[in-house]
Amino acid sequence: MQKKPAAIKPAFTRRKFLSDIAVLGAGAAAGSGLALPAWAQKKSTKTGIVRVWGEPGPYGGVAVDAMNEWAKQFAPGLTFKLETLSWDGVYVKLMTDLAARNPAHCISVESPIAYQLMADLLLEPLDDVVAKVGKDRLVDGVKWEYWGAWKGKQYVLPAHHQATQMVVRTDVIKELGLGDPDKWSWEDMRNAAKTVSEKKKDMAGISLALGRNLCTDYHFAALLHSAGGRMFDVANKYQVVFDSPETVEALDYVKSLQPYMPKGAVSYSFLEVVDSIVTGRAAIAFYWGRPYGRAAEENKPVFDALQSYNHPRNSKTGRRTNWNDFQGWCIPRPNNQYVDEVKAALVYYQTSPDWLIRYCHSLMPNVSPVYKDVLNNPKLYTHPFFQTKRETIMNYYVNSLPHSSSTGNELLKGINPLAGIVHGRSILAQTVQKVVVDNWKSADAAKWGAKELEQIRKDNLRLLGGVV
Amino acid sequence: MSGNADWKVADRRIGILFIIPFALAALVFMVYPVAEAVRLAFYEHNPLHPETSHFIGLENFRTIYDDPLFWKSFQQATVWTACSIVLQTVIGVALALLLHLPLRGISIFRGLLLFPYIVPTVVIALILQWMLNAEIGVVNWSLKSAGLIDENIYWLATPNMAMISTILLNVWKYTPFVTICVLARLQTIPLELYDAAKVDGAGAVRRFIDITLPQLAEVLTVVVIFRTIWTFNKFEEIYLLTKGGPGTSTFNLAIYSFEQSVASLKMGVGAATGVVMMFLLFTGSLIYMRVFKFAEEETA
Repeated sequence: MQKKPAAIKPAFTRRKFLSDIAVLGAGAAAGSGLALPAWAQKKSTKTGIVRVWGEPGPYGGVAVDAMNEWAKQFAPGLTFKLETLSWDGVYVKLMTDLAARNPAHCISVESPIAYQLMADLLLEPLDDVVAKVGKDRLVDGVKWEYWGAWKGKQYVLPAHHQATQMVVRTDVIKELGLGDPDKWSWEDMRNAAKTVSEKKKDMAGISLALGRNLCTDYHFAALLHSAGGRMFDVANKYQVVFDSPETVEALDYVKSLQPYMPKGAVSYSFLEVVDSIVTGRAAIAFYWGRPYGRAAEENKPVFDALQSYNHPRNSKTGRRTNWNDFQGWCIPRPNNQYVDEVKAALVYYQTSPDWLIRYCHSLMPNVSPVYKDVLNNPKLYTHPFFQTKRETIMNYYVNSLPHSSSTGNELLKGINPLAGIVHGRSILAQTVQKVVVDNWKSADAAKWGAKELEQIRKDNLRLLGGVV
Repeated sequence: MSGNADWKVADRRIGILFIIPFALAALVFMVYPVAEAVRLAFYEHNPLHPETSHFIGLENFRTIYDDPLFWKSFQQATVWTACSIVLQTVIGVALALLLHLPLRGISIFRGLLLFPYIVPTVVIALILQWMLNAEIGVVNWSLKSAGLIDENIYWLATPNMAMISTILLNVWKYTPFVTICVLARLQTIPLELYDAAKVDGAGAVRRFIDITLPQLAEVLTVVVIFRTIWTFNKFEEIYLLTKGGPGTSTFNLAIYSFEQSVASLKMGVGAATGVVMMFLLFTGSLIYMRVFKFAEEETA
């Protein structure tokens, strides 16, 4: 089943491709400003630095380049400047800067945190921007509300969607005769991890984050949702439903995988999981598309052997749920003197397929296109990764969507602004750690987690005002 | 007479003038924050919505009293502080005695001693994270190469080892402070005392117990009090190295307070934790000084 990946032409490296596409994108995008609505072409005489927050990765820089291109034409006194926030530091940085009334003027942040800010009325509504960008452009299988709508208003403009997949070293799996990963159930994946651990020296079967951090929250949430469990029941006044057999099943499953993980996994976060797969110390991982870029540059044999699939199927529910970050751009409200300028710059960049393609190309296949005209644009497929990793890329871009879920939109049953606070306090990760570090019974850990979630709900009813 | 009195008044005024900048700085940067923390401890305060802030009496103290994590953090802070201080004091005194020896080139070692104290904690913690990485760190690699271990040691990934690693970091960084204080005192002990003891037939151990230690008592009292306060309050070393993990196995009260204030946006609970820490340290310091009869001569 597994096609042998062809080698990438050595003369055409990822870095060279990026520099080429940068020139191409800049030139093409310069023309796209001509097609802008008059609203977005209004000149601004304001001066200063427009601070933009983005997560680690080159794509934020591409978006800011596009915004600066707008500024050059329409607001020569302004410079958009990117501030990169590490994932595990994002909540603290965001909350302290908001508390100090000094947030960035435009931010791209993990979707559950954006939902929290939105419900806390700390963001500007962006319905006017959405109208200009084009309401009918979204790819099939997603809705505008996934990025952040609350009480009928859109607060977040799509930047990308970003699903976890099961990243697999196909060479190892094939060598050990472990079957087709695309057909694996939870039990099959555990057996594969066990076999790898037993038969491959210095290689863990599977690498998941188990540290007290955001990555663990996301990895566990994917398993919880796959088992059919949730934290809150949005349709029933956001009641806590975490103390459930499904939570226990997911926790038991994590515990059963632990012997086949690197022993240090109990302190792993995002970077450590990427490291373990890229350096060849793990055969399976749950991850977004980031390992591919690094492997292509640092470990070619690993890159050649990597393939991503939808998560293994839960045998009871049949679900293959991933954790998909529907991440977008939002504009903080407090002390923001550049609201109009940021809106205009966002329209400029979001109506330019060339800039949007460049955004996707900057870290393949980590950030998936969200607009149909981008997904269907032939230029998107000029990236060299498409020569060898088309199946993986399309899994991230398209095939992940029917299995999407997130902590802020559990099983896509409705937006939940409490999830940001859950992540701020690492409740899911702490629940997992009660089991894998403190050796609690899963049922007790689920009860503990439910109690914490109930406290969050109780403390933040104001966020749900009018809903509960 | 009158001229002399005027001079004294002017002198006092100048003195007051010199004190004013410090007094102002102390008011703004010490007294006000402490007073504000004490005030906040009795309020429910969400920094994102300061307009909703309101007085809730002792509720924040009740919250931390009922929170098992607070007690766990307290227990771990006590272990972390006690182990750090004992090791720093023993190693610090030993190093000071060594550096007090009249050897050629000893001043170079005295200078080098300051190195850990000078390097910013953030730099040390980040480097140490890599060095102690169980899979790719240089520490395990070296131990394995030397044949001292067969299996990797998970320095930061198991609760006990994480606590030991954070203690070792603290000891490595702050032992020089103890050494320098003790060394300075050692250099002021009159040599005649040792000469007289030698004449009386006292050996090296007897001289250390009967002369050196009593002479060091006051400086050690001060050093231990300061180091205890600073270590008990320490935040950045643990947070940068383990973030309080794995699990909550290296939480101390400073990290607990930070988590409550920033991650949970419960500024009141965080402030209440700070007030409890302040009370504990103040009381502990008073008891310690009373037990060791510190400053008895001055008050006698």
